[in-house]
Amino acid sequence: MSNTGFPPQAHTGPGSPRDVPPPAGTFPIDPATLPEPIRDELEAPDPVAINTAADELKDGLNRCQKCGSTDIRHKPSSDRLVCLFCRHEWLGIRVEDAFGLGEGIDQLKGTVVASGAKDIGADAASLMSFKCTGCGAEVTVNTDSAMTARCHWCRHVFGVNEQVANGAVPDAVLPFHIKKDDAVARIRQFVDKRRMFALKAFKEQFTPENVIGVYLPYMVVDGNVSAEVAGKGEIETRSYTRGTDKNKQTYYDADVYQVQRHVDFTVDDLTLESSAERGNLNTLTNTNNIINTILPFDTKNAVKWNASYLIGITSEKRNQDVEHLRPRLEDQLLSIARAQVEASVSRYDRGVRWESERLSVHGTRWVSMYLPVWLYSYQQPGSNKGMLHYIAVNGRTGETMGSVPVQHWKLLLTALTVGTFIEGLVLWFLGASS
Amino acid sequence: MTEDGGLWLLLAGPAGATGLYWALYRYYRNTDKSHAFERETAVEAKPVTGSDHQVSEVIGTQNTRIAGDNVREYRKRVNRA
Repeated sequence: MSNTGFPPQAHTGPGSPRDVPPPAGTFPIDPATLPEPIRDELEAPDPVAINTAADELKDGLNRCQKCGSTDIRHKPSSDRLVCLFCRHEWLGIRVEDAFGLGEGIDQLKGTVVASGAKDIGADAASLMSFKCTGCGAEVTVNTDSAMTARCHWCRHVFGVNEQVANGAVPDAVLPFHIKKDDAVARIRQFVDKRRMFALKAFKEQFTPENVIGVYLPYMVVDGNVSAEVAGKGEIETRSYTRGTDKNKQTYYDADVYQVQRHVDFTVDDLTLESSAERGNLNTLTNTNNIINTILPFDTKNAVKWNASYLIGITSEKRNQDVEHLRPRLEDQLLSIARAQVEASVSRYDRGVRWESERLSVHGTRWVSMYLPVWLYSYQQPGSNKGMLHYIAVNGRTGETMGSVPVQHWKLLLTALTVGTFIEGLVLWFLGASS
Repeated sequence: MTEDGGLWLLLAGPAGATGLYWALYRYYRNTDKSHAFERETAVEAKPVTGSDHQVSEVIGTQNTRIAGDNVREYRKRVNRA
């Protein structure tokens, strides 16, 4: 061919991507007629994806089942939705029941990803626009921080309910149970226990009423795994003292064993941050470990995604896919395995030094969820952008954790004073006994 | 009271000051806290299996624990086989 200026023409004939694809899971030849090894391979199960998309909410309008109004709100302290027009109330469907997520964990094989936890498309935009079916206006929702908007012309309420590939729409949401007043009281109680050495500016500016409710993105993972650990353990056989009265030393004899352990286990609802920023738990630069500490949530009660639960509450978008989170999951599974085998090596009274570990992940199931957190934050000025301190309240259990900035000179002075006092006591004691 | 014992006691002041500083710092900043997933996740484990073989013995050591004891440090990763 001489026309080198054009790219080669894409293959368009039979068997090319231009063909209409055959139905999923079909094969042109009857597998029963094929040799057994090939048949086994063909008939092995495909990776399963659970479809959690709600067809009835695709146009972005969540309508009251009784009167058709879109003015729907989450009823505080419950998992129910309420229509503000006719006061009709209904309960969201629990994803656990709807998709059988609590069952068959020990039978899990491969990676099962629910539709809301699928990979984020590279071209997916944060801004989504809807055409209002009431008046035809265009309404835009910025999914980076909100999932609902109101049509400024006809007052219809829109929610992002369709699962788009930008990671903003999860499979499930766990509605807030702890009310704002309760969260404020908990934060106040937490800080009241930490006032003496707190930074002066923090105490002066402390206004827990500024706490905000936010839905943070998480991946909730079920896993079916096996783990093996190997190392050395020691059992004491004898202990004895040598030396004279003034210079007595204790010595030990011990048997050394090569120890190996294997454990098969399943984990149910292990929760991982699916935002890269929140998953970074470096306490030298951030206080995200505070938000990590208030886990776990009662994820069993999460309801099928419905943006109406988020009205008036901000949200953060997921930006991590299943493959990004896999190393962290494996790390946590290994830690769980090590905790599980601890009781079986209790006879090694001088301890065990694990030297190698192996993890075989047979199957995992990933579901993305928005979980409710009350967040109070304080920006401490300083070098390198200072430090953002969080006080977080679990929106379901009320578990509270926080980072209170410290007045260093005050803490240092107190420590030195106490140290000097102890030293004084020691000197007095030495002087008296000599 | 021996000379040696007296010198050891002199460390009590600096040790007390450092200990108090770190204890209070952690109480305020909670830098050592995180989700205890080892305890707080629903785990269903089958019975643990394994093997134990004596390979050697240690005579006359002054250490009270095996070197590099990590039986309770679940999150400290070791060689991945």
